[in-house]
Amino acid sequence: MDNKPLQTVPRPAWLHQRLRWALIALIAIAVSLCAVGLQPAIFNWNGLGQLWRFLAASGQPDLSAEFLAVVLRAALTTLAYAVCSTCLSLLIGAVGGLLASEVWWLAVLPHQNLHRSISSTIRMILAIPRAIHELIWGLFFVNILGLDPLVAILAIAIPYGAIVAKVFSELLDETPRQPLFALLNSGVPAANAFIYSLIPQAFLNFVSYAFYRFECSIRSAAVLGIIGAGGLGYEILLSLQSLRYHQLWTLFLALFVLNGAVDWGSAWLRHRLGSPTRLDLNLRRPTRSRKQSKPGDPLVLGAGIGLLALIPFSFWYVAADWTKLWSPRTATLLAEVGQAIWPPRLETLPQLGPLLLQTLAMSILAIAIAGMGGVLLAFPAARNFWSPNGLLAGHTTSGLGRIWAWTRLLLTRAFLLMARAIPAPIWALVALFVLFPGILPGAVALGIHNLGILGRLMAEVVEDLDPRPVVALKAQGVTAPLLFLYGVLPLTLTRFLAYILYRWEVCTRETVIVGLVGAGGLGRLLTEQLSSFDYQNLLVTLAGFVVLTFVVDWISGTARRALR
Amino acid sequence: MVYCAKKLLIIATLLLPIVACAPNRSAAPTGETTGEAQQPLVTGAIPDQDPEKLQRLYGKLSEYLEQELGVPVEYKPVTDYAAAVTAFKVGDLGLVWFGGLTGVQARLQVPGAEAIAQRDIDANFHSVFIANKKAGIQPLTDINGLQSLKGRTITFGSESSTSGRLMPQYFLQQAGVKLEDFKGQPGFSQSHDATIKLVEAGTYEVGALNEQVWKSRVAAGEVDLNQVDVIWRTPAYYDYHWVINPAVTEHYGADFVEKVQAALLKLDPNVPEQKEILELFGASKFIATENGNYQQIEAIGRQIGKIK
Repeated sequence: MDNKPLQTVPRPAWLHQRLRWALIALIAIAVSLCAVGLQPAIFNWNGLGQLWRFLAASGQPDLSAEFLAVVLRAALTTLAYAVCSTCLSLLIGAVGGLLASEVWWLAVLPHQNLHRSISSTIRMILAIPRAIHELIWGLFFVNILGLDPLVAILAIAIPYGAIVAKVFSELLDETPRQPLFALLNSGVPAANAFIYSLIPQAFLNFVSYAFYRFECSIRSAAVLGIIGAGGLGYEILLSLQSLRYHQLWTLFLALFVLNGAVDWGSAWLRHRLGSPTRLDLNLRRPTRSRKQSKPGDPLVLGAGIGLLALIPFSFWYVAADWTKLWSPRTATLLAEVGQAIWPPRLETLPQLGPLLLQTLAMSILAIAIAGMGGVLLAFPAARNFWSPNGLLAGHTTSGLGRIWAWTRLLLTRAFLLMARAIPAPIWALVALFVLFPGILPGAVALGIHNLGILGRLMAEVVEDLDPRPVVALKAQGVTAPLLFLYGVLPLTLTRFLAYILYRWEVCTRETVIVGLVGAGGLGRLLTEQLSSFDYQNLLVTLAGFVVLTFVVDWISGTARRALR
Repeated sequence: MVYCAKKLLIIATLLLPIVACAPNRSAAPTGETTGEAQQPLVTGAIPDQDPEKLQRLYGKLSEYLEQELGVPVEYKPVTDYAAAVTAFKVGDLGLVWFGGLTGVQARLQVPGAEAIAQRDIDANFHSVFIANKKAGIQPLTDINGLQSLKGRTITFGSESSTSGRLMPQYFLQQAGVKLEDFKGQPGFSQSHDATIKLVEAGTYEVGALNEQVWKSRVAAGEVDLNQVDVIWRTPAYYDYHWVINPAVTEHYGADFVEKVQAALLKLDPNVPEQKEILELFGASKFIATENGNYQQIEAIGRQIGKIK
């Protein structure tokens, strides 16, 4: 496009593509709200006391030595599980991502015109493991592996591996291809050409994403306490069942520390490596030249060695029995599961439609809450924004003003950390104290949890903002609100939306774990069937989830392309 | 290019430990506490009441059983009903403290499995229906009174809970009340304590739960009786029990099932240490039980669709 002669840019149509998508989103949210609005009362003021009791317990967490020892051991277990499952998911994701990328097939089969169909088929297949929540994977693996640490590792690694594969393949496809084709055309074999061009180009993005995945694994390990693995998830479940709020808050604090430390550590390391944000979606733009770390930065080297040591330690600590993967018992049990689920029964098929819509409505509301909250909180949570010397900082440099600015930054960040560290089922129970049962409390629970994640990702976008246009505008005396509207939003909004759409898919899957709100949609049906060992009908419900994931995937993919 | 290659080397070294670790771990013995000599008897439980006590509870019980049976005993924490039943089915759990329904589900999947012991209270177990005072529901005089709950909101406990779901739903059905007759979908709070709190808050007007949990929470002063109270107590039924996997006889001898049963029944409230175990279970002693006691539960399970 750059080479064409200058031509007048036509004024965009009134109803241009972005506006159309905005309208679609608004209508979707409105329709979902209608599904909620059928009940006369929404707020249950009577439950404020219960909510208060939960929140007040945060002031007095259970700090007895006995319990702290339990928490410490559990935190270590959770960390070890997260490390193991992240490693495995990255391995799966690297292979899967290569195979699912268009550019790989273009390089391997240059003469057949098949690359697009092969890669999109593989991407479709990868949507299946992604559609199924870790919890269900866990139960499946108990069926074939029994009680072994392996169950929890695989339960996280399989769906995460598929997610990593999807993101990796997108990264590969969006990395500039000229160097790759230069190598290929000079006769370098495809694998070598990849190793010397595309992979190093995308490497920093891979590493950043790997750290993001690690953070997610910790959160996931905290939900997945069910399978004899122990860890914080197990302890949280135990304390939750008898509502020991003081114990729960101690466990949450452990999660804050763990999440916060990994978060901070990965941000620091990424910064040192000069890599972009942890999850670089929507990057159809030339990689900006950035300050690269000097090779051999001693701090990075130290951190790298520390991480390297953490991996074998975690595998040793978890002590999974890997022989189970190929033992004859596993094969027998797998065959038994096969017999138990086949043939699928279609009894629940008529119910499936409404339940699908219910799940969809819940996920849309959840992501709307998370998205809006995330956008609002991303700015106060970003270091370079309202803080002193930030882009939008006022001219007051009084001591009080500075203290207020830093407090605001810390408070927002603490809130975001709390929102994402506390597992969604706990938010669901808390939401149920003050909201009447239905889709709404489920959406609120998922919304709060994902808000914490989105807010952090978006704050990073803001911190990563190219300051030049904003500084230029500011120098011309543009007022703060206008600066925000014309300088900041245009630079950040598309990437915010890309994150929101990406997280939406996660929300649909997570509706499985907030079934206690009395409107779980497909998730409720799934838990009922699991607890009845009704595997033949279960298969159909899972298929429903897969369909839902396809739909969400397609919509968000189309929308992201349109918004680019 | 050199720089890129260096980075690749870093990836390779990053991934190396994973590959290197796999065979190492597989060679190591899996049972950490015991040698290869004897496989431990693995016990488990479905946490239903005071699950945070489980750790202490099973530490003590494992010690006691080790002493009595002369074999190593290990406790595996499992917090999910379906996972516990499945682990029992594949033989990774040898002796499990199941609820009424889950015990039946487990036995149906393991031919030869036996119910061997229950608490004194389990032969005569009850659920209670509770209601928020603001809902203005009068205490029910008999089972037909359940019809007055039509049009209300209700929450059960866990999907597989006998006292928090199966039996309450059965009695509702007996009274001619279907789940569709309630307002909205029934909730599944996942625990008896959550049921109490959600009804106390008024989120749900009615709830159904294990009477033992209700009584102990009321006794501990944890329930606001101005907000919530019992409206009906169900007739009695059989609930929690110990189920043993027939595979244990292969490892420890043909009479092992009887031995375990005898050890459980022998728990004596007059011996301080054993009294502690019994108290943690909320029992004054364990009594014998048999598979036949759970026929009603099985029939109801099939009727309601929890057993296929």
